[in-house]
Parts: sequence; C-alpha cells; structure tokens
Amino acid sequence: MKNIALFFLLTAGIFGYSTVAYSQSEDELVEICGMIAGEATFLKDFKIRLDSGDPPPIQRFSVILKKGIKYRFSVCNSKDQDGKVVLQLLDNNRLLATTHIVATGKDWPFIDYVCTKTGAYHLFFSFKDGKSGLAVGLLSLVEAEGGS
Amino acid sequence: MIRYIILICIGSIALSSCNRCSSEKTDSWNDIPQEVIDGNNFEDIVVPVDVINQMVNVSSPVETAALIKGLKIPFNRDYLADTKFTNSYSTSFKKALGLGVFGADMGYLNMYEKPTLVIDYLSSVNSLADGLQVGQFFDFKTLKRIATNKENLDSLMVISQQSFNKIDNYLKQTNRGSLSVVIIAGVWLEGFYLSTRVYQDSRHSRIRETIGEQKIVMSNLMVLLEIFKKDSNIAALIKDFNEIKVLFNDVVITVVMGEEPIPIVKNGVVTFIQSDKQTVEMSDETLGAIIEKVQSIRKKIVEG
Repeated sequence: MKNIALFFLLTAGIFGYSTVAYSQSEDELVEICGMIAGEATFLKDFKIRLDSGDPPPIQRFSVILKKGIKYRFSVCNSKDQDGKVVLQLLDNNRLLATTHIVATGKDWPFIDYVCTKTGAYHLFFSFKDGKSGLAVGLLSLVEAEGGS
Repeated sequence: MIRYIILICIGSIALSSCNRCSSEKTDSWNDIPQEVIDGNNFEDIVVPVDVINQMVNVSSPVETAALIKGLKIPFNRDYLADTKFTNSYSTSFKKALGLGVFGADMGYLNMYEKPTLVIDYLSSVNSLADGLQVGQFFDFKTLKRIATNKENLDSLMVISQQSFNKIDNYLKQTNRGSLSVVIIAGVWLEGFYLSTRVYQDSRHSRIRETIGEQKIVMSNLMVLLEIFKKDSNIAALIKDFNEIKVLFNDVVITVVMGEEPIPIVKNGVVTFIQSDKQTVEMSDETLGAIIEKVQSIRKKIVEG
C-alpha cells in the first residue's frame, strides 16, 4: 500500500515538472504570432487570458490606427488551453474586421485591414463557445500609402 | 529503495520550482519585484488596472516613419534629436520623455535601415531605460550586435519594438502607468516633429494632412495625460501641449462614413478595406503656427 502511494507521489512530481517545463509562455506565443504575420513589421502585442463563461467573456484593447496604413492582425492560441481566439475590430459600434468570417465559418490566422480614417479603434478578443483560453494578438504594419 | 523514490520526488518538485523561477525572469507579465513597486521615486498616481487596460495605444514610432518613407521622401539625419543631452535628463520624468523621443528616432532610423546611426540612439535608450529600472527589457547587447554587423536588420526593428512594448507593459503593471504615458507622449511629439520637418522640406500634401490628423491622436493622448495631471511634471507637459491643442481648434476634420468593409480574399490573404473618407482642412497660417509650436516644445524637451 505504501509503495502504491509512493508511486502516485512520484508520478505526480514528474508530471508536475513536465507540465511546467513545456507550457507555452506569452513571449513564445508572441514569437509564433510574429511568424504567422510574416513580412509585416511588428507594432504591438496583446496578451489575452480569459476564463470560460456564457456569454463568452471579452478582453478589450483600444488602438489608434492611421489613415493610409495597411495593418495586419494576427492571432495565435496557446496549445495548453482549449479556447480558440476570435478577434473583432470595431469602430464605435461597427464591426470593421474579424478573424472569424461568419458567412464561411472560416477562422483566419491573420487578416489585413486598410485604414482610411485616423482614429481610435477597439479590439475585442474572445474565445469560441466561451471556453477558457490563452492567446496572443499581434498588430503589424504591412505597408504605408505609396507602398513602403 | 523507498528513500530513493522520496528523493526523486523531492528532486522533481524542486526542479519544477526552479523552472518556474527561471521562467518568471523572462515573463514580465506575472513577476513584479516588490522593490520595483516600492522603490518608485517618481511622484505617481495609482490607477485601477481596468482603467490601465482601457488606455488607448496612441503612438508607435514606426507608422509615421513608414508613411514618410512610403512617400519616397529621402532620409535626413538633421531631423533627429541630438543625444548629447541624454546625461542631463536627471529626473524619471525627463528620462521617460527622452526615452520616447529617442525611441521614435530609432523607428525612423530602422525604417530607413541606418544601423550605424542606430548605435548612438541605442546607447542613449539603454542608459535612460536603466535609469527608469526597466533596462532588463532592453536587449542592448543583441541590438548593438545586429546594428554593428548589419545582420538581419528586420530583427533590429522587431526587437526594438518588442522592448518598448515590454517596458510599457511592465510600467503599467508596476503602478508606474504615469511613466508609460510620458514615454508615449515623447514618442508622439517626436513623430509629430518629424512630420513638421518633413513638410517644411517636401511640402507634401499627405504630410500636411498627417499634421492635421494629429488633432485626433492628441485628443486621445490628452485623455491619458489628464489621468495623471496631479503630477506636477505632467501638469506642466499638459500646459505645453494645450498650446498646440488650441491651434487645432482651427483644423477641421470631416468624415464621411462608408459601408462596413467586406472581406476580400486574394492569394490566400483576407483583406478588409475601410470605405470611410476623411478630409483635413486648415489654413496655411494655422499650419505654420502648429509647426512653430511643436518645434519649440520639442526643442525645450530635447535640450532638457
């Protein structure tokens, strides 16, 4: 009996160690997301960590986007949690862009947005089906007016 | 035998703990040393985390530079701030403003791929970041190596940007959001200054428009600064910036709202094109007054 208890203790110790050793950090996710963004120039990262909930909880950020710039928004999920992140870009109450296209049901790892109005915009991040999740969103610059 | 098993268990748990320690050093999100929180010599105002999270990300040192380069306007070293005043930035406030100004200049230099000139700015930024106890997020050695060897210049831009983002996050998480806002103000002012100098030399209509658009950016920045107006240094900065804000009263920005963008898929990339139309109108007199005011405030800040 004592041996069985020790076996479980040993397993739990090693399992605990390996879980910590291989969990993805936010910085690793930023790196992966940067690769997804490709040639675009990195501007800003957004770290998203949400619990499960119904309706799905939302993590919100605000950014100034500038006229004449083509931006790229890329997202990537932590492999350690179930949640699949969805990004929505809004201007007041208008949905301007999203990584989840409802019409096709397709999720895109990155989307491009051509901005024609300098101003404050809102980024809404949530996880599909209200699952808990850990993810990173990246804002990058693809090109400026005139073709940079 | 049982002793060995117990030893293995203890070893596993100890290793697990050590791993957690080492990952915390690189994870700016969760680990905030108490001495940094306590040892803040900048008169600070604690702002709730939810307010911090709602702060608009106002300024990037890269976008203005990208716009200028995209218009095929040649690089000009004379536009950049002189780093010789760095050592005279004696307070946290001045260091933060300087960090923003030089950060914007680094964005301009990186955009035009001028690694040799970047080194001077790297040194100043590194020194100012150390002075604000955020030097650990600025990978000076790597950046200097890349700039010196002129290797993979794209990564120079990426690492610089990431360093500034880490500093920004860390300052917010350590109740030093006021410093973060001051850095942002420095970045914004230098980007604005660059636009004014470029306009004076190029008379480009798009740059003129960019100067007018700063009315929108500034209104967002002023909201951030107002949060910390109890700090006397920030109050003085607000007073200076208000002199620009008054001039913006004569700038008229009109927006014609378009339809919601429809996703266009081309070559495996989905793109949303905004259809709103924005126009900026201002007289030559107003433009001249804005340019003069921006340049005089920037001179005062750079020369400490």
